[in-house]
Amino acid sequence: MTSDEIRPEPARALDRRTLIKGGLGLLAGGLALEELARGARAVAAPPRAVALPMAAPTGSATQQLHLAATDGWASLPAATPRAPFWPDPLAPPGYDVYVFGFRDVTSVPANLVVNERGKAQICAPVLGFDQYDPAATTGATLEERSNAVRITLSNLGLSVRPDLTDGHTIHWHGFTNAIPLFDGVPELSISVPIGREFTYYYRPHEPGTYMYHCHFEDVEHVQMGMTGVVYVRPLRNTPTQKFAYDAASTAYDREFAFMLTELWVESHYRDAHIQTTDWTDFKPSFWLLNGRAFPDTLKPSTDPLTTDQTSDSGANLRYNPVSSLVAANVSERVLLRLANLGYQHHAMTLDGIPMRVIAKDASPLVDTSRDLSFETNTVEIGPGESRDVIITMPSTVTPDSGKPYQAFRLYDRNYAYLNNGGDAGYGGQMTEVRLFPAGTPTSAHGLTA
Amino acid sequence: MTTTSRHGRRRAALVSALLVLLALLSLPGGSAQAVPSEGLQCETSPSNSFTLTATSGYILTPDGNSIFMWGYAGASGAFQLPGPTLCVNQGATVTVTLRNLLREPVSIAFPGQTGVQADGQPAQPVLSGGRITSLVKPAAASGGTVTYSFTASRPGTFLYESGTDVAKQVQMGLYGALVVRPVVAGTPQPARAYASADTAFDPQHEYLHLLSEIDPVLHLAVERRRSFNLGAYAARYFLINGRSMPDTIAPNNAAWLPAQPYGSTIHIKPKDASHPLPALIRYLNVSSATYPFHPHGNDQRVVGRDGNPLVTGSTDISFEKFLVDIGPGQTADTTLFWTDEEQWAPGTNEIPVDLPPLQDQIVTGDTWFSESPYLGHTGELPAGVTSSNECGEYYHVAHSHALQQATNFGAAFGGMMTLIRIDPPAGCPGATP
Repeated sequence: MTSDEIRPEPARALDRRTLIKGGLGLLAGGLALEELARGARAVAAPPRAVALPMAAPTGSATQQLHLAATDGWASLPAATPRAPFWPDPLAPPGYDVYVFGFRDVTSVPANLVVNERGKAQICAPVLGFDQYDPAATTGATLEERSNAVRITLSNLGLSVRPDLTDGHTIHWHGFTNAIPLFDGVPELSISVPIGREFTYYYRPHEPGTYMYHCHFEDVEHVQMGMTGVVYVRPLRNTPTQKFAYDAASTAYDREFAFMLTELWVESHYRDAHIQTTDWTDFKPSFWLLNGRAFPDTLKPSTDPLTTDQTSDSGANLRYNPVSSLVAANVSERVLLRLANLGYQHHAMTLDGIPMRVIAKDASPLVDTSRDLSFETNTVEIGPGESRDVIITMPSTVTPDSGKPYQAFRLYDRNYAYLNNGGDAGYGGQMTEVRLFPAGTPTSAHGLTA
Repeated sequence: MTTTSRHGRRRAALVSALLVLLALLSLPGGSAQAVPSEGLQCETSPSNSFTLTATSGYILTPDGNSIFMWGYAGASGAFQLPGPTLCVNQGATVTVTLRNLLREPVSIAFPGQTGVQADGQPAQPVLSGGRITSLVKPAAASGGTVTYSFTASRPGTFLYESGTDVAKQVQMGLYGALVVRPVVAGTPQPARAYASADTAFDPQHEYLHLLSEIDPVLHLAVERRRSFNLGAYAARYFLINGRSMPDTIAPNNAAWLPAQPYGSTIHIKPKDASHPLPALIRYLNVSSATYPFHPHGNDQRVVGRDGNPLVTGSTDISFEKFLVDIGPGQTADTTLFWTDEEQWAPGTNEIPVDLPPLQDQIVTGDTWFSESPYLGHTGELPAGVTSSNECGEYYHVAHSHALQQATNFGAAFGGMMTLIRIDPPAGCPGATP
């Protein structure tokens, strides 16, 4: 692959109207979920006034989007090199690791989608949908009324490995009562060949935090980065109050999603260099939140379609676009959606603020008949599991020196995973929860560049 | 003591069942090729007395390897992996006589049981010079015996495993499952996991998922009587009931897997008025790793763990999971439904998207896909594809989500993986249940 394959995109003539018309239930930037979760019938503004594949669902649009599957190059924080595997000598300037991934191309004109070949991102776009509502009355067709979801997957092929003819699929991990055709297991249904597309159709009956990933050669494609969070908002949401599940006690003010994975640089190198991997040797060297390792986790979300090639977030992190920064004002209730598509168990701990686990695997621990939710300071989460956690921000803030906020650390309590490439110091699955004074506008939270 | 197949027994007429039993007893190895079957296969005894023989043999892996193992042989006396699934009713006094044909002392521990006796004395660790030589009294090498007994006081799913040189002997295969069925007011409840009616299941759909793994280098070292450094341990094969995918989906007692008698295919029909009860899956993890087991298709409800029903007082604390995470030595009992929620049907309620033309799909050379979205319907397959689909039934996978464990020595779609088969409500002609 040559570096000109990561050339800047031509400026896009997309405006906000176009985005809303597209009716995306999608968040490529991933962080400011609160902007997206204003309720099933809310019409929320796009988080940013730039041409982004980010938008909030509108009340009447179908929940329809277009993902492309391909390969590409991403960026990890500086660490001791692990020659010859990492940084990968084939990587274009500014990048260091070969990846596979999903890209949101819903806003990309159909004839330009193929240009995104070789521009995968890790992790995959965060997807948020509204719960299926067969009883809804607004909208011309049942499809429009009911929040049915269509995700079209295009396989753009692998720019670095034209010798491979891998298919791709979408497996919505945890979807209840799935039928095989929409479950994405190649041996049990179909997968999408290079240059072709298939539309997956879902009626998301159950709210909660799920995940999605490619199931083609799953041990390889998942490790290579084809992993994302997908969540379903309950119908009881209103424009002014959001809930994680049907129970009133799952109300929250802001939400953030985290995809936990590991990255084994040797396997990524071998994929780029036409070598094979014995996956039972799995031994990761980086531990990621939303496709980034600390301290990159703190940087704002970026946009794979950006034309900015100079700033840190515009260049190096363009293909690790999803931030893990958490920010909220005093006394607010914050929902953390945790999903693990790594191959190791993790234990996320938050210093200074208790966590209440309200759901596991998209099954609420609290409903009308019982409350099994519990407080803890460390949330265990195994491979393929999800957790919904609500934290209540402290009522008073003592800003850190020179900062407008007080930071709390959210990190993997497995200290063996809290580094980058085995180096001394902190890295890996660590981020900050930043507490701001009352009334601080979201725009001042530093979530976006 | 007889080896019977739950499903075989159910399907067969009494006379033919007796003939099968006679055939079983007369066949070396107790294999039951005549009765391909699926689901939990119990070894039972009217007196709840069992003899387990520690012996050695080989298992086969789907990539063509054969691996030296130790194991507990059941009534047949022939090596098998895992050991026979012993089924008793709650309250039974269980007696297990261990006969040791291996060349080192071997024992059986019964984790989760209380008041276990070994040769009439409380089963305690054996000390020599202040050091523990065994967690429970062993049978001497090369022919020794020891008899364990205990009262199966509570229902649930339990392991039995070696209590001697545990890191090596359990890895070598000395383990099996013990199922204790609840007894309510003196009446055995073979269709409940625990006493509560909330744990009722369809007894024709009861399954065992005994999870383990193998480092073949360790096994080769034991076979060749060489030492092995456990610090170099690296698992390469990942098993359900002693088999790896796709062997996991072969029937019980498949002739081509003579020492691995237990399949793990789950085979159900959609939940409806005719099928109101869930399947029950008994998970056990006998390894030293934690397995994140992910059944596709639908959540499973965890109703018991480690032989304890998930009830506190009168509160049902069972919970639904799309991933059943099981730690070393733990067990979990889950119930499974699959509901045909959308009732997709050709002509009347078609899926709202198009199935691409055949040339625009990838269908794997060996597939379980019917080439139709609709339950009970089939379509034309691409040329050169072999489908195992019989009548348009659905298949989902269930596998470890530590995905390197869903491989055979690194090769994907293998290892700790099995299939969940969902037949049309009217059934599949010629298929079981």
